[in-house]
This record gives sequence, C-alpha cells and structure tokens, in this order.
Amino acid sequence: MMHMTMDELTVGQKGAVKAINAPKQLKRRLMDMGFTKGVGVEVVKLAPMGDPMEVSLRGYHLCLRKAEARAIELR
Amino acid sequence: MQTIALIGNPNCGKTTLFNTLTGTTAYVGNWPGVTVEKKEGMVNGHRILDLPGIYSLSPYSPEEKLSRRYILDEQPDLIIDVIDATNLERSLYLTTQLAELGRPLLLALNMEDLLEKEGIRIDRKRLSQMTGCPVVQISASKGTGIKALLEEIERSLDQKRLPMQPLFSNFIERYITTIIKDDYLHQIPKGRQMRWAAIKLLEADELFLASMPQPPQAFQTYIEQARKELVEHYDDDVQAIIIDQRYKVAERIAKDCQIRTKKAKQFNFDNLATSKFGAIPLFIAIMAAVFYLSIGLVGGYTTSWLESFFAFASLHIQVLSDALQVHPLLSGILVDGIIAGVGAVLTFVPQLFVLFLLLSILEDCGYMARIAFIMDRLMRSMGLSGKSIIPLVIGTGCSVPAIMSSRTIEHQKQRELTVIVTPFIPCGAKMPVFALMLTYFFPGKWFIAPLIYLLGILAVVITGLLARALDKHKETNAFILELPRYQIPAAKNIWLQTKDRTLGFIQKAGTIILLSSIIIYLLSSYSFTLQAVDAELSMLATMGRLIAPLFAPLGFGFWQASVALLTGIAAKESIVSTLSVTIGTSSLGSFFTPDTALSYMTFILLSSPCIAAISAMFKELGSKRKLLFAVLWQTGFAYVAALLIRSATLLLL
Repeated sequence: MMHMTMDELTVGQKGAVKAINAPKQLKRRLMDMGFTKGVGVEVVKLAPMGDPMEVSLRGYHLCLRKAEARAIELR
Repeated sequence: MQTIALIGNPNCGKTTLFNTLTGTTAYVGNWPGVTVEKKEGMVNGHRILDLPGIYSLSPYSPEEKLSRRYILDEQPDLIIDVIDATNLERSLYLTTQLAELGRPLLLALNMEDLLEKEGIRIDRKRLSQMTGCPVVQISASKGTGIKALLEEIERSLDQKRLPMQPLFSNFIERYITTIIKDDYLHQIPKGRQMRWAAIKLLEADELFLASMPQPPQAFQTYIEQARKELVEHYDDDVQAIIIDQRYKVAERIAKDCQIRTKKAKQFNFDNLATSKFGAIPLFIAIMAAVFYLSIGLVGGYTTSWLESFFAFASLHIQVLSDALQVHPLLSGILVDGIIAGVGAVLTFVPQLFVLFLLLSILEDCGYMARIAFIMDRLMRSMGLSGKSIIPLVIGTGCSVPAIMSSRTIEHQKQRELTVIVTPFIPCGAKMPVFALMLTYFFPGKWFIAPLIYLLGILAVVITGLLARALDKHKETNAFILELPRYQIPAAKNIWLQTKDRTLGFIQKAGTIILLSSIIIYLLSSYSFTLQAVDAELSMLATMGRLIAPLFAPLGFGFWQASVALLTGIAAKESIVSTLSVTIGTSSLGSFFTPDTALSYMTFILLSSPCIAAISAMFKELGSKRKLLFAVLWQTGFAYVAALLIRSATLLLL
C-alpha cells in the first residue's frame, strides 16, 4: 500500500520522511536539501494560489511545489 | 601568492564576508573555460575568491557547476567554509564534502549576532575537534571576529593542516578501505584524495568515471559487487546512501556542538508577505512604491533641476566660445555633441541611483525569495518558474545583472526563456526616452508610464504562453528554493552594489555615450565630401535614410529616428542624446505625432536590448543560434506590437 506523501499534509501538520520516489536527479536534489530517511518535516504554509508549499526541516525553511512534495513519502 | 576560496550555502553571508575582507579591492572577473562571473579580491596579499553559493558538490544549476569546477580543478590553498551558524546541521552537510577535497579547510561560523536571538550556543572547541578544522565565530555584517579570522587564515595557510575525514557506518567503511588499498586508485588525477575517489567509484559518479582509465576486470567486479551489497543492505541506491551517511555525520556533529536554549521565533512580517489575500497586493504595492520613490519623487525634482543646469552650462559655454572665437567645429562638438548628449543621460543618474538602491535592499532582505514563492503558480502557467520573477524585478533597474541572475534557475528551458523575456521589462536606461516623449506629447497623462511597464509584462506573458504551447515535451521540473530568514540588509553590501551599478551607468555616459555623441555630431554636421552641411544632407542622414523605410509603417520612417535606434544598440541612453543632437528636444513635435511617439516608444521598449545586455544574453544562452533567435524574436515582437499600437491609437484618436 502506498503511504501518505508530503503534499497531502495540511498547514501545521508534521511527518517523518520514509522514502523519496523520484527520478535520480530530483531525488538527489531533495536529499541534498536534507530530506533523508527519518527526518521530521512540517508544512508551514501554502502560497496564495495553493501551490507551492513552505515546509520546515532541519531548522530551516524551504519552498517546493506539490509535484515535488508528492515524491516524498512519509511514514 | 596563495589563493583562498570562499564557499558556503546560498544566503550564508559569504558575499558580505567577502566585501568585509576585501574592502574596495574587489572586482568581478571572468575565469577561463566558462565565462561566468566570480568575484575576486585581495586580502593580506592573498588572492580571495567569492564563489556562488551551493548546497552540495553535486551540481544542478550553472552557478553550482561553476563552484564545483573551481573547487575541484583549481586547488585553492585554503577553503573557507562560511557557515550560517543558525543553520548548522544543513551547512555541515556541505562541510562533509569539502573535507574530502584534500585542501586545508577553515570553518567561519557566520551570523554570531543572531545566535543569541535564536537561542543557540555553539561549542567551537568541540566543533573543531570533531571536524579537525579551525573554527572562528564571526559576524560578517557587524564586522565582529574578523581580526581573529584573518589571524586564523594566516595560520591555516602556514600549517596546511588537512581536515578530518567524515566517517560513515562500518558497513560502508569496509568497502572504502578495501578500494583505497587497490593499485588502481593510484591513477586518480593529481591532487585528488583516495577516499574521495573511492566514494566516487562506489557512487558511479559519471564525471569521475570518465576521467579514469578502464579498471582491471577483477577490480571492476569487486566494485560492482560492493555496490550490489550496499543496495541490498540499505534498500536504496548508492548515491542516496552516501547522502544519508553524510547527513548522519552532520546531525551527529550538530547535536554535539549545538546547545539550543529556546525555540526559534517565527517570522512576523512573513504572515502578511505570503498571506493568501495580502501577498500579491503587497508585492504590487512594494514595486509601485519603488518606482514612485525613484522615478516619481526623486526623478521629478532632480531631472528638471539638472536639465536647467545643462541648458545653463551649454548657453554659457556657447557665449564664451563665441567670445574667444573658438572654431565652430570645436564648440559644436562641445555644446551640441557632448553637453547635449551626455547631459541628457546624466540627468537620470539621481533617480537611477535610488532605483538601484531600493532594488538592492529588496534583493538583500530576503523578500525576493518570497516573491518567487508567491508568484510561482502564476509564472508556471506561462512556462516560467517562480525564480524567473527575480530577473524580471531586477530588470527594471538594468537588464545585465537581471539576465545574470537567471543563472539560479536549474531548468535549462526555463532559464533560457527567462533570459529572452527579461529585456522586455523596461530598464532604467530606457526611462529617459519615455520621459522625453511623455512630457512632450502627453503632458499630465500620468497613466501612460505604468502602461509601458504593463506592456512589457504583457510581452513576457505572451512569449511565455507561446513557448509553453509550442513545448511538446511539457516537462515538469523542480522548483526548490530556500526561504531565508528576513534580515536587515548589510549597509556595505547595499552601498557597494548600488555604487557599482550607478557607476556603470555613469561610466557608459563618459565612454560609449560621449564617443557616440561626438560621432553623431560629426556625422550629422558633415557630408561624405567632408563639407559642413545642414543635417538633412549629412552622412548620418544618408545612412539613416537607408534603413528608415523599414520603419515607415510604424510612423517614424525619418532618418533621425532610425539613427537614434542604431545608437540605442550601443546604449539605450544614446537614443535621447542622438535625438537631442539631430532633432533637438524642443522640436520633437515637427517629427513625431502622438501616435508615432507611442509606436516609437513601443519599439524601443520591446526591441533588442543594448550591446551589454546582448552579450549577457549570449553568456547565459551559450549559443549564437539561440542568441540570434532571441534578438530576432524581441525585435520582431517589437515591430508587430508597435504597428498594432499605432493602428489602435489612430483608430481611437
């Protein structure tokens, strides 16, 4: 069964990364920014038009599109 | 002379530190291979380089590629890893990669002034023990800790002590140890570290593999076996495993060295800046304020004041040279060439200074990233990215830095599209033309000026939509952007940037425009047989008449207008100076009518930018074919738009 992905989180919800399901390049990029297994993430807010989203992880804030957030599987 | 490289994450305060260290010795230079700018300066007799910020040594954008290539190929004598101390864990991830390069490494913990506010304390001694690097705590913007840093730089350059290698889990270390022992590893390029090479082999890094000879069969089999076992053990690909291991090292160090006394505060301004309903109106209001303050308020006062100053000056110089019986050629060059041409341009310095100043503040305070965040959805529907908004905003000042700032866009097509549309946004140098035309033909019609900007934006939108419609692949691409902490901009950064851009403008007035004013004056006063003649019979008129018919449908098929456009390729400010030399700003009405003035402005707004911007476009597009397409598209678009605008005004008026 497919688990929850990060784009499904609502503002203020938290999760922990389980896996990144993305093509090599994007996966590496997301991991470089700190999305490694087990790391905690929290959705801080959504942009005025609902996308992209602002998340906080490892003590800093990052913005990414929902399409990319979908690649981040949570446990 | 020894070389020091400054490296660190974007927004870690690297450039501020660079400016603090180098003072006024800094200059922007190219470096061979890729023609992309890096900043270079001197500190204590050493060469110091400011490289674009990166998160890791695996490159995604051209900017990051530049940093990686420099760090790997140029072998600096010392790497200073600038770390945002309030963001220790993620910064240390890059440190784990830099430590493997076999160069002495110095950790500069920047933003010490914010540590207390954020409730963080860092045990520097422990950090130094765990990384094997000297650690200095500084605040580049406040200038604290710089003396200690300078001392540590000298010590590090003397001692050449190498950093400790970050160790991964035993399961991986086993393979790394075995690989390092193999003879094959002795063939790695000079200056590279064995451990680094072993990791690259396991990762199957394409760039590295290509630089190595074919390994012996047995060794190849071992590597493949090792990769397979790693993948099975960790249930992930090798590159992901290594990234994961590096972050584990970073986590461990950060946990040991960092003491959090209270929780970080939330942004306050941000609640408004990115709110659902307030964000976009606020953005528009901020941009409107920027233009009102620079062009409206400051420009309003200074332009007329400077204009009367130059009129006064030319009158008196004329009187003086008549009295002294100076040769009319000389006084003509001086009064009708230089003062008319250069003066018309210098008039705009004060308002451009304010414009550049305000844009620098916007760039430095962290708001630009929020603009990208709130506008991404909209920009995406036009085939652009949220990051494209940054060049467009900077483009209101000058297209050259704007085009260069597109470099942070990873996706190639979006980056190229951004480069092509950025010149549609009217830059500061085009303002003089608009101001001249608007005050002459549309006095009191204040609403036309914003419409010009709107037309520029419309050109961006139309081009974007077309490009998107024609893109068969409809690729999706990543938009990943750090939202940095808001900060009060460092005065020194703002000052240096504003000064550089304003001086660039003045420099053009003193060189290109001075020269072209003189040439234009001479060409417009003499015939091909070198007789002093009326402008109508001059060389310039003859040349202008060759291309003028092209513009007849747009309503400005007379030679003066065409010649002004030609000189505009050198610098857009020249258009005004050429018009004032050939027509005289007071007799515009005998050449232009309101509808042709509008079509002329439209053509200038949208057609190919000045030569400096064209060469910036060439650098970023990287191909003559693409550049030709870009320039033809801009000019073709301008032609059609000017034709449409003119027809529409003729119908309406």
